[in-house]
Parts: sequence; structure tokens; C-alpha cells
Amino acid sequence: MTSVSPINTTGSRQRQARFARLQKWVSRAFARDLSCLIVPGQDVAVAHGLNVSATGMRVSASPRDANVLLIVGVLSEKMGEVATVLYAQMPRPRTIVVLGGTTPSSLPGADVSAGLSQEALADAVGRLKRALAEGAFAVSPMDFDASVLHARIEYVCPMHPEVVEDEPGSCPKCGMDLVAREAGEQTPEGGHDHEHHHDHDHSNEHSNERQQEHAHENAATEYTCPMHPEIVRDEPGSCPKCGMDLVVREDGEDEGHAEHEHSSHDHGEHDHSGHEHGGHDHGGHDHGASGFMSMIEVTKDLPRSADGLQMDWLEVPFGPVFPGLAGGLKLTLTLDGDGVTEGQATSLVGLTSEGENFEASDEMDAETFIGYLSAAIPLAPVSYRLLVCLAIEQAAGLEGDSANAGARTGALERERIASHLGWLAQLGRQLGFAWLTQRAATLQLQVREANRDSLAALEPALRTLGTRLERTPLLKSRLKGIGLLPTESSDLRGPVARAADEGGDAWARLRQRLAEISASLGLIKSGGEPALPVLRDVGDVSGTGEATVDTPRGEARLSLKLERGHVKSYKLDTACSQHIGLVPKLVEGQELGDALLAVGSLDLSPWEVTS
Amino acid sequence: MYAQAFFVAVFGLAAIGFGVVVFRTSSMMRSALALLFSMTAVGCLFLAMQTEFLGVLQIMMMATEMSIMAIFMVMFMMDPGGLGGMDMSHQKRFSIGAGVSAAVVAIAVALLSDWGPAAEQVVDAQAQTRALGMELLGRSMMIFETAGITILTAMIAATAVAIPVKNLSSKDGKEASE
Amino acid sequence: MTVAIVLLALLGSAWLLAVVEGWMATGRLSPAAPLFRGLAHLGRESIVPRSPDRVFFEAAPVLLLVVAVLGMAVLPLAPDLIIADLGTGALFVNAALAYVLVAVIMAGWGPDGAYAMIGGWRFLGQLIAYSMLIVMPITAVAMRAESLVNTAIVGSQAGLWNIVYQPLGFVLFYIAAMALAFRAPFDLPSAEGELGGGVDAEYTGVRLAVLRLARLTLVVTLASATTVFYLGGWHGPLLPPSAWSLIKTLAVAVSMLLVGHYLPRIREANLMRWCWVLGIPLALLNIIIVGLLILVVP
Repeated sequence: MTSVSPINTTGSRQRQARFARLQKWVSRAFARDLSCLIVPGQDVAVAHGLNVSATGMRVSASPRDANVLLIVGVLSEKMGEVATVLYAQMPRPRTIVVLGGTTPSSLPGADVSAGLSQEALADAVGRLKRALAEGAFAVSPMDFDASVLHARIEYVCPMHPEVVEDEPGSCPKCGMDLVAREAGEQTPEGGHDHEHHHDHDHSNEHSNERQQEHAHENAATEYTCPMHPEIVRDEPGSCPKCGMDLVVREDGEDEGHAEHEHSSHDHGEHDHSGHEHGGHDHGGHDHGASGFMSMIEVTKDLPRSADGLQMDWLEVPFGPVFPGLAGGLKLTLTLDGDGVTEGQATSLVGLTSEGENFEASDEMDAETFIGYLSAAIPLAPVSYRLLVCLAIEQAAGLEGDSANAGARTGALERERIASHLGWLAQLGRQLGFAWLTQRAATLQLQVREANRDSLAALEPALRTLGTRLERTPLLKSRLKGIGLLPTESSDLRGPVARAADEGGDAWARLRQRLAEISASLGLIKSGGEPALPVLRDVGDVSGTGEATVDTPRGEARLSLKLERGHVKSYKLDTACSQHIGLVPKLVEGQELGDALLAVGSLDLSPWEVTS
Repeated sequence: MYAQAFFVAVFGLAAIGFGVVVFRTSSMMRSALALLFSMTAVGCLFLAMQTEFLGVLQIMMMATEMSIMAIFMVMFMMDPGGLGGMDMSHQKRFSIGAGVSAAVVAIAVALLSDWGPAAEQVVDAQAQTRALGMELLGRSMMIFETAGITILTAMIAATAVAIPVKNLSSKDGKEASE
Repeated sequence: MTVAIVLLALLGSAWLLAVVEGWMATGRLSPAAPLFRGLAHLGRESIVPRSPDRVFFEAAPVLLLVVAVLGMAVLPLAPDLIIADLGTGALFVNAALAYVLVAVIMAGWGPDGAYAMIGGWRFLGQLIAYSMLIVMPITAVAMRAESLVNTAIVGSQAGLWNIVYQPLGFVLFYIAAMALAFRAPFDLPSAEGELGGGVDAEYTGVRLAVLRLARLTLVVTLASATTVFYLGGWHGPLLPPSAWSLIKTLAVAVSMLLVGHYLPRIREANLMRWCWVLGIPLALLNIIIVGLLILVVP
């Protein structure tokens, strides 16, 4: 292999040879140091049975530290865009590995494509290593670009937000210079992810000094300096004393009311396409005696946070591929320093969020529907499989299945254990508790498809995990009192509901889930060999059926209508759809770490959120 | 001796240079950290003048103090990033006058005082530290103890004043804050 | 010559620590992995965020590395193996380590991003908690040695190590040292689960390599400081002094990593409360006890 760098055109043969040798070593280093960013999330990978670190790759928390974009499963279009943004943020050389699906359209072709299994992953990693070792310093690497990475720049007048142009210029109403702003900051899926954009994507320059006015109607306009009210001019310009741009002032008012966008949060605004701070009205301010304006005066009327400090507000997205949260869950928090003032959670991978609404013409037969629903919910496929089977069997008028009941219960409880272990691993990631993450993930991989005997063999390990956790020194103080829900919260389900009686905080939920693991082990022992729920033969029946299953996250209710053996329509009510609405109340007023823990303790599965 | 003079000059100029940066930059953070490095240069100046304890103490204290000042500047000042390009100086005439007269006074004091004969040899750092300790706990004990207690009182008072009154009566919720 | 030896020892210890770190993360012992990782970082693209404070962004990793090396420069590996045996050595260690805060704040402010900024300022809160707990135990140690010179401090432990003489001080210093190095369970500034990497997150390429090296050497420096102050430095039978120093330093460093592996991240409010309500009175108590012991015990 001779790598000839196109830049190195004037080097001597010797220098090129040395360069090539260095490149070879560095390429070898790239191949040995694989670090992957898993989309949609590490919890999904483990739920599919993948043990990524066993293949020699380490899992990275941030795209900046990753050189492999590992796509697990089929991605929806929104998640595809997210993956594209993440890919753009990875330093080169970067590669894409797609497992069990196709590459999203906005990404360049996958470097390695494989099925969704551990062996396929190991094989893919091997191929990847060879590809990196040989091609890391390709002669003419193509740069990659995607439309989702470009933010459209529009130009607005700071005083007249309705004036929006595509070209820089002056406002037709007041003559001020138009300020550049990224368009589309309202849509959460406008190419966001949990970090801000790579610098080669954007060439816009923000002017960070923005001024907004309260809406006043008036006739004559004068221009004054916000810091020096004694300066009054008839036309816009700069203040002779301090150089700031003059703003319009009410005629006859004593003080010019101007708000200043604080550049302290302009820093963070770059994260999310120039979120306008005007949403939070700063209120008026007085000028101090010396004409000096401080943050105290400007933030005077902002609501105070719990620690009494008035800070500037900043809207920061967490997710959808965030190491501490479930993959696909996007949390948008408005931060006040490091405290949360508002929060909102959305799911980018939820059911029917693709618009795949069930049309009357788009019927599925029973088996296809089972496959569809369990594939759409990778974190709890067995529960939903069981749910559909029960509903269809009820629609077909079949009696309760005593023969297979044991097997079905066994499978359901086994999945409950696996799901709770997955939640524990995710809690470990959030808490930086490395031992817990490793242990829980290992156990989850073992439990996933274990038969009854293996589960009995795993029981001591699971019990020790529980006891060790309850005795871990700093854990209880970390979790106690976090995630308290207001008492009037209704429609809590599953472990969250059961823990509400024991204190309703994150610690109680942890203990509740540990208890459920023990209980499930007992149920499996007394039940039958766990086996995947299989639909009994229903034939071409018609009817309506309803079923309820206690999924690991709470009760899920499905009602569907069968017509000649085809599912015509269905209505699904999941626990997570209810719980996700609790997030705003949960995070309000909390410190950031506490807020994230509170959301984590709900065990929201964004796949089960129906929109 | 020439090496010492050279280093004293270097650190002195560095201190002045960083001090100038403090006022030339419009970024609050850069201003605060420039002041930090100016103080560090002064500390290195002390080291070059072979007062080791003072130098190390100066370097140590200033790191923490200036960083805390930095966060307070970010909290209470507009435009801590300095991207607005505003002129942050006020009362220009008065401050120029005050600065010049202070400089004149300081230079006058430095040149006109009788500092006594220059020491040919300075005792080594260990002996200096020991002598300093003896002085602190001997003749100067009252001064430093009083200063220490005063500062402690001021800290406690400032904290007490900063706590919002309404939170004093409610115990819960205070845990989760800050 | 001593400079080269000490720096080599520092680098080697950092490498060993990286190997142990990798072993704890993956369960496999791969000595070559940190070397390849460093080389890979050097070869990767260096990304600069969109509108950083360039001075701070570039300076932070370098300052962190400089601080770690400066701290090591005054700590003895053997009676004659110390780069600069300053008369105020113990205080200088603290002075150098105070600049870790400056580096982390720079790393937080520089990239102009919410995660990094929160991480940086969180570290300031952490400093409020640990800074007294670093200085006061050192005071007690210097009291026993009646000197601030690091070699004298080690010399004073010839008969009895300080960990036995002042165990309270050791515990407090150990905890504060972990907090200073912002390693788990005190990794609030670089929390992966809460801040997506925090202050570490925005660095790529060469800067990331320097930052990682700096963080590892910082742990080694702090472990070395613990050894010098509490574990009797180079004292020990049979082996040469420098070997003992290295063994003890590595033991402390690995123990710090292990403790972090098995504990969840601490809550910042709890950290501050415990350090101020519990830690500082204990540190003062330690000083009193040591003072009494010095005066009373012959």
C-alpha cells in the first residue's frame, strides 16, 4: 500500500516514504482504537443482545470521542437526521456500521453492514478494523454534507420580529441593520442533537448584541442609548459615549426600555439554532444612578429559582442520543444556571410517530401485526407480543390458554427481569456508577434468552446485585428525595405507581424494581419454561378484542378490531405515554443532575410513547 | 544577581502586561483570568526576589480568589463574553486622574523611601518560613488573629444576608437547591 | 538527569494507570491500548467549536498538564530524586494544584457550549468543598515535620507513617484529592451521564490527547502527594527508595480508580454540605489532635 497524500506534492521521495510509514502506524492505531457511538442508544443495543465492548470497541459518550457510528436496528427518518448530525460531529476518520437495517438516506453509505446479532457485530468489527487500517488516509476523501446540517440563515430586525428577510440589509420600518439568525429553532428535530453543530456546517456570524423592545405604539421615534439615557438622537446610530447601537425610545417616557440579550447565554444559544431569548420577558429595568446596568437590574423580574439566584435562562436539549437517557428520548430543559426551570420530554422513536397510521386499507394479518408491534418496541418485545396475542385471541373468542399460560408468564417475567436490569444499567450510566452498568448489562445479556434452569442459576447473582445496591454507600443519599411527583398525579402505572406508596422518590422506585426482579424469579420458578408467546390458530374470525398486560413499565392496554383474520384498527394505551407527561412537573425547580435522575427513575421507554 | 534582576524585570513586566489586558478586553472571563495571571506574575516576582513563602502563598491564593471573582463577574455583569463590543469603562476622567496620581505616589514612595541597606545574602527559604511563623505567632499574633476573626465574621454575615428570608422557615426544599 | 527520571516515572505511571482504567472498563488487560489510543488521538481531526474563546480553549489542556507536572516537580521519589526541593514544598503542591480549577474553568468557558460551561462552574462549587480539606491536613502534616520541605516531611515519618499518626487527616486528604482530580465519584465537571462529557466533551485530536494525559498525570501527582505526606514516601525495607515511592504511588492511584469504579457520583449539594459541616470541623480536630500529640508525646 502506498498512501500518497495529495497535499504532499513537493516532498521528496524520502519524505513521502517516511510520511507513509507514519501514516501506516497511525492507521493501525485507528484500527486498534475503535470507539463507537451507538444510535439510538446503548440500552437498545443491549436489549437486542449485543455486547459491544466484548468485540473490542469501547462505547463513547460523545460523538467527539467516537470514530464509529453504530446504528442498531431500523431508524426512523427523524432518528436518521439525528444520526447524520452526530456523524457530522465525529472527527475524521469516521466510519458507519449498520446492524440490522439500512443506512439512513442522509448519511453516506455504510462502511460495514451486518445483521443484528453478536456474531455479526464481531465480524463487522473485524472488517472495520481492516478497512480503517487500510483506508484511514484515503487519497481523496469525500467530504460529506447533508441538508439537515445546514441551518437556513434569515435576517430579522431586532425591534420588529415580523420583518424577516433572506438577505442582509436594513429594516424597512426603522432602518436598523438586520441581524442574522438561524431559522427553524422551533422545531425540535431541526437537526439537533445533544451537542452543538460542527463548525464546518455553519458559516453564519451571529451578532450577539441584540436589542428588543417592548411593544409600544407611538408616533415620533427617537433613538437613545440603553446605558446613557441622556443621549437622544433622531436617527439610528451609535452612542458617542459607549459605542452601543441606539434603540428606539418612546417619546415622553423617562427611560428607554431596551432589553439586552446577554451574551452569556448567547454562548449556549449556538446549541440550538439561535433560540430567541425573547420568550422570557426580562421586564423593564432602571438605570442606576451612574447609568450602569447590571444583571441584577436586568433579571429583576425574572422568577427566582430555588436557590434564590436570578440567572439568565438557557434552553438546552438533552438527547435524543444522550448517554444518561434512554435512546430516542429527547429532553429539552430550560436551565437557570444549573437549575431547571422548565422541562419537556418528547420521543423521537415513538409509535405512530412516523405517521404510519393504520388506514382502513392498510390491514395487516395477525402474524404481521404481532411482528410489527414487537419490532417497534425493542425494549419490551415479548410483553407486546403477548399483548397482541391475548387481544387477538380474545377477539377470536378463544378462552384463556391454560396450556401455554405458564410459558407465557415465564417469558413475560423473564423480560421484566431483563428490562429492570436494563434500567439499572441506564441508571448506572447516569450516575457514573461503572460497576453497576457493567454488572447489570452482563446480567441482562444472560437473562434475555435464558431458560428456566439458567435463570435459577442466575438467581444468586441477581439477589447479590440487589443487596449490594441497597448497601452502596453514596447511592441512597443520591436518590433519596429525588423525583418526587406531586401528590395529585394520577394514572401512574407499574413500578412508579407501586413505589408511590413507599415514598415515591427515585430510591423507592429502585427498591421497587429490585423487588420485582425477585418476585419475577419466584414466578418463573413456579411457572413453566419461558417460551415466546405464539398466537394460537384463530382462523378468519372477526371481532373486537381487548387485553391488558403488565409490561415492565406499567400496564399496557390494547384494543383491536379483527376482520376476517386481519387487524383493521387498533388502539394502544401504554404506561410511558402517561408518564412522559409527568416530566415537566417532575423537573421544575430541580438541579440539573437531580432532574435527569428524576426522569431516569421513571424508566421512560420512548418506543412505547404513542403520539 | 543579574539573573535575578532579569527575572524580576520579566515577571514585573508580565504583571503589568496582564494588568493592561484586564482593562483592554471586553470579555469578563478574560478580564478576570488576566487579573489572575497578573497576580501570579506578582507571586513569581516574589519568588524571584527569594521570598519563597510569600510568593507561593500569593500564587496559591490568587488562583482560587480570582476564579471565584470570575464567576461573580459572569453572574452579575452583562455580556460576560465580551462579544457585544461595548465600552465597559466609566467615569473616565476621574479614573485616569486617580490612576495617574496613585502611580505617582507609588513611584515616589518606592524611590524616595529609605529602604535600608540591601541585603547581600538572604536566608534560605526554610529559615525564612520559620522566622515568619515565629513572627506570626509572636509579635503579630493579635493583628492576624483579629484580621482572621473579622474575615470569618464577614463571611458568615454575607452568607446569612444572602439567604432569602422566606427560606429560613422552611427546612425542606433547601436540600435540593444549590 | 533527575528531571528526565521523574518525568519518565510520571509518564510511565500515567500509562500504567491508563492500562488499569482500561482493564476496569473492559475486563481485559491490554498494555498497548493506551499507546494506540494516544497515537490515534494525535492522528485524528482536531475540531474547534463554532465560536470558542480560543485562548481558553487551547490553554486549558496545556495548563492542566503543566499543573500536574509542576506538582510532581516538588515531590520526592527518593532523597536525592526530586526536581526542586523547595523550602515551601508542601505549600507549593497546593499552589500548583489550585490551578486545576483555573484549567477546568477555562475548559468550561472556552468551547462556548452549555454542557462544558455547566461542568466548568460545577467544578468551582466542588472546589469550595474540597479546598479546605486539602490544605488543613497538609498543615497537620507540616506540624509534625516542623517544616514545609517535602523531604523533611518524609524524613519525619521514618519511625511512624502519618497514616497511623493522623488517620483522620489521611482520610480527608484522600477524599479531597479525588475531588481535586475530578475522578469518580467526584467527576461532576465531566459527568458523562449528566453532561455528555462536560468539560471533556468538546476536545478532539491532539487537545484531547493532552487533556487525557493531563488528567491521568494529575491523579499520579495527587497519589504521589498522598504517599509523601502520609505513607512515608520512600521508606521501606529491601527495595531501593524510589521503588517504594513508585509502588506506594501506584497503589494509591489504583485505589482511587477502584473507589471511583464502585461508587456512584456524589450529589453536589451533598458534597458541599458534608465537606463544610463535617469535613472542616474534622480537619480542625485533626490539627488539634496532632498538635496535642506533638506537644505531649516525647
